[in-house]
Parts: sequence; C-alpha cells; structure tokens
Amino acid sequence: MTAPVPAQFGPLQHGPLQAGPVPPGGTGPGPGFVAAVIETSALTKRYPGAVTALDQLSVRVGAGITGLVGANGAGKSTLIKILLGLLTPTSGQAAVLGLDCARDAERIRARCGYMPEHDCLPPDVTATEFVTHLGRMSGLPPTAAKERAAESLRHVGLYEERYRQIGTYSTGMKQRVKLAQALVGDPQLLLLDEPTIGLDPAGRAAMLDLVSRIGTEFGISIVVSSHLLGEIEQICDHLVVIDSGRLLRADTMTSFTQVSQVLLVEVDEGTAELEAALAARGLQPRRDERALLVQIASGDTYDLVRDAVADLGLPLNRLEQRRRRVEELFRDGAGQDNPAGREGGA
Amino acid sequence: MTTQSGPPAAGAGVIHDIGYRHYQGPRLGRAAIIRALGWHSLRSAFGIGRGAKAKIIPVIAFTLMCLPAVVNTVAIARGGGQIVYYDTYVFQLRVLVMIVFVAAQAPELVSRDLRSHVLPLYFSRPLHRLDYPLAKLGAFILACLALLEIPLLLLYLGSVSQAHGGAEIWHQTRALIPGLLVGLAWAVLLAAIGLTLASFSARRAYATGSIAICFFLSWALAGLLRGVATGRGPVTGGAGMADAGARLSGLVSPFTVLDGLRQWLGGTSPGPVPPPGGYGPLYGVMFVLLLAAAAGALAARYRKAGIA
Repeated sequence: MTAPVPAQFGPLQHGPLQAGPVPPGGTGPGPGFVAAVIETSALTKRYPGAVTALDQLSVRVGAGITGLVGANGAGKSTLIKILLGLLTPTSGQAAVLGLDCARDAERIRARCGYMPEHDCLPPDVTATEFVTHLGRMSGLPPTAAKERAAESLRHVGLYEERYRQIGTYSTGMKQRVKLAQALVGDPQLLLLDEPTIGLDPAGRAAMLDLVSRIGTEFGISIVVSSHLLGEIEQICDHLVVIDSGRLLRADTMTSFTQVSQVLLVEVDEGTAELEAALAARGLQPRRDERALLVQIASGDTYDLVRDAVADLGLPLNRLEQRRRRVEELFRDGAGQDNPAGREGGA
Repeated sequence: MTTQSGPPAAGAGVIHDIGYRHYQGPRLGRAAIIRALGWHSLRSAFGIGRGAKAKIIPVIAFTLMCLPAVVNTVAIARGGGQIVYYDTYVFQLRVLVMIVFVAAQAPELVSRDLRSHVLPLYFSRPLHRLDYPLAKLGAFILACLALLEIPLLLLYLGSVSQAHGGAEIWHQTRALIPGLLVGLAWAVLLAAIGLTLASFSARRAYATGSIAICFFLSWALAGLLRGVATGRGPVTGGAGMADAGARLSGLVSPFTVLDGLRQWLGGTSPGPVPPPGGYGPLYGVMFVLLLAAAAGALAARYRKAGIA
C-alpha cells in the first residue's frame, strides 16, 4: 500500500485554510465555537468485507462554507456520519466544534443539522407538522419548535405549501423540507450530504443559492458534499477533495483557482501545425479542446510561442496565463500533483 | 412565522422579513426529547394528529372493550349480580380486540418511520440509539394500557355507583387492583411483542399481517393443544398425561401465558387454560422469557438499523 497521505497534501501544508477568510456574518454564533469547525486525524473506516471508506484522513475545516468533493463512493457520506457519531471509526480521531466525536456525540448532534443524501420524508404528514416534530426532537420546547419550524420553512422558500402533505411535493420542495429540518434547531454547523441530488438545473441553482445564503447571511458554518465539483465550487470558501477515502487536497477556494504556470494559446486554424512547431522549439504543448497548453518555464516561453505563431502566420485568438480550474484536481491530482502516492499504489 | 417588527406607523398587516434569527431560548435535554417522542407516538397509536381514517380502528377497539363494562352496569341496575370480573374481563373479546389493535397500530409507530427512512433524522439528533425504541415501546405500552384499564375503571365505577355500603365498595376496590395488574402484564407483553414484530417490516401490511398471524396462530394452537389433551380433540392420551398436557397447553400463546400467570399468582376466575397448579412457575418463566426476547430483539434491531 501507499503512504497514507503524501506530506505535500497534508493539512499542515495548507496553512491558508486555517486562516481562511471568514465570510461576512460568519462569526461564532455561540459558546464553544472554535476556529476549527471540523478536525480529523488519521481517520480510518473499514467496513466488513475489507471495504475501506476512509483511509488515514487528516483534515481541518474552518468556519464558512466548505465543499466536500469526491466521486461517488469516495467516503463523503461515511465522513459525515462519523462526524455525527452515527458511525464509529475503525481508528483515528475526529472532532466537531471542538468536541470529540466518540465521547461527545450527543452534544455535537445538538449543535449540528444534518441533511441526508437519501429520501427521508414521510409522505402523509404536512411539512409544518414534520419539521415541528423534528424541532422537538432537536430539543426545542413545543412553542419554540412551532415557531422555528415555520421560520425554517419560510427561509427555505416554502410558504403556503407547508400545510400540504409532503407526498404531494416536487423533488425540489422535498429537498427544501430536508434542509428546513436540518435548520430548525438553529445549528452552528450544517452537514449537507448531496443537497442538489435529483434536482433539475434550475432547482440545483436555487438550492445552491439557498445554501450560500445560509452560510453567509445566517452565519452558520456549512459542510456541503457533492460529487459535482463545478457545482459547489461557486458557493464554497474552502474545498476538501477526497478520493478513495484519502485526502487529495484541502485549501481555500482562491488558492485552488489561482493563476497557474500554464500558458494557453488558441489559434483560429492550424492548431496541429502550431503544436508541431512548438514541439520543435523544445516546448511540450498539450491539447486542451481547441487550445494548446504550454508549461511556462521562463519568460522566454512567451517569446517562443509568439515567434512560432508569427512564423506560421496563424490568426492568434488568445494567449493567456491560465487560471486553474478545480476539475483539474481530479485529472492532474492523480498524475501531476500526486505522483508518489499514485504510482506507488499501482 | 413572519413577525411584525416594523414601526407601528407601517400599519397593521404589513409583514417584514426580518431575516434569520438565532434561537436564544432554552434547549431541552435528552430525557425531555425522549418524553416528547413518546408523547408523539402515544398520540399516533390512537390516530391523533392523523386523518379520520387513522382513528377508525382505535375507536372501534376502545368501544368494543368498554361494552362489557356498560352491560355489567346495566345488569346490576336490573338487580342481577356481577357478570364481568376484573381479572379476566371478557377474555375472548379482550384477545380479539388486542390482536386487532396491536396488529393495526404497532406498525403505525415503527413501520412508517422505517418505510420513509426517517430514522437517520432521529439519530442525527441528541437521541441515543436505544432512546428511539425505548420511547416507542413506552408509548405503545401506555396505549395498550389505556385500552385495557379504562374499561376496568368503567366497570369499577359502574359497580361502585350501585353498591350499597362501604363494605361492598371495599370489596370492589380489592377486586379491581389485581385486575389492573393483570392489565399491566397484558399491556407490557403484547406491546413488546407487537412492536418488535412490526419493527422488522417497513411495509405496514406485512407488519400487520405478521403480528395478526403470530397472535392468532399461537392462540389457536393453545386451544387445539388443550382440546387434544382433554380428549375433545382427535387424539387422546392417558389421564395423567392429559391433565399435564392441558395445564401446559397455555405456554404456546402469549394470551394463555398471561392467563396462566394470572391464575398462578392467585386469580380465581375461570380462564381459557386450566389452573396450572404445580406448573404455575413455568408460566411466570415463560412470561419473563417472552418479554425479554421481545425487548432484546427490539433493541438489537435498532442498534443496527436506520443509518441507511
């Protein structure tokens, strides 16, 4: 097996996360609030049958909205369930809001709201009744539960519909009820497991907007998991990327998308000739759809590219230093960013 | 609920979106949450908070159970004697009504939550794993208790209202107390068995069916065994064996176990099983075993289930 987490991607390497920007209104809402909302060290979960869901995962998550990204089966749901004390890790530690997940699970659950991935709503009660009941289950007195249920449902955008039975709702409305029940106990931290699953594009956008509002305006820290990176990167302050139960990278959103040492060249025609010409000049161009990517070795790289284009007389469309896109993490993370871990494992 | 917080000058009826408010009020502990869940479950056992359809079976069951108490009161008023006893009530009716009630309502408490996968929402709250079945069991015992004991209390009130003199009231009261205890034993055992069976099926119909079949079959089997042993059945044995067989026949059904237990502990009214005599402690042991098995299976079920 490989070394658990290459040091390069260990959380300690990524200081910016700990000092990551706190969103407006993202101040600690109550006592017991600490800078690290979630902290795990060497967290491992193996299911019977030698399935390893989490493998030596060490990560630190600060306040704000954090995206938890990974392919299906990467260990996102397992991590969330361990954080809530619903699953016991095989080894390693985890803490939420400064409380140990093994010892203080009850107190953690009193401060967290959880929105499960799967359908979890009874069809034959109204949203108001359901959320009120779950408010009671969160420890609210009867009157407060009623008030908070109505407020939560209003915040997620359910108004008169809330007096209708949940069975009559659309998928989007059901997702909102699931979010409302997580919100009803006024949590310090929301754990949202794939909140956009099953929604159409408009529904997804509306849900993401809602999550973003809760994170920024309500001052509630959020961990939102998704297997679609492009989707949640718009609303996150931080990103934790896991793959096969291991931490691929954890960092602030800005550092993920910072300027990279890659030059993008796009010509209207003759891309193949340009590619050959650049290769002849000692550069190693890569195709990226219609454009070519060239690693910037020094300042000369710009001149080399310019000369190559001029010599061939090609119509130059774009020449720019490219911003990283987060999706590349998966592609590059396996090869370029993480050679030791990958090749060692093969 | 939107709250009106603007200046009064804005006029009545103007709703202001005041944004998100954090909850500053008290938060109840785990014990209070368990009580709230129990109360919620007790209400749903009688269909309260659900549609009219959900109330049909509880209402019919309750009415049927109360009928003998009314009939007894009328009989006494017409100068007859007591025809319904506290410790057995009307045994056959009680069995029938309890089978229907438990089979219909136990799934209401547990199968619905399994069906709609709502358990992760409970377990992601301060509740512990076993708090959920504990609250459900407590609530269902109370529901069964209401169904069993309220008719007894009616019977008592009906008898006492026409009693002449303190001695007779005292006599009635002394007869009522063992009756209430028998009702408690019924409620605890039947609720535990019913809820446990229901917790293994997410589909209401299956849960109801499995409970009804278990109760009916074992009840029929006990009757059959007794018939066989006492020579009214197809096979006959020797006299001694027949006697022992009849005395032991009640061990196969929860209802007859309950009645054997009653007779062993001193109940004198005739019941569906012959007085167990020396086999009495077996009925006590069987009661405890059944209860422990049901409660253990229920706990094991919820230790594993739910985090789908």
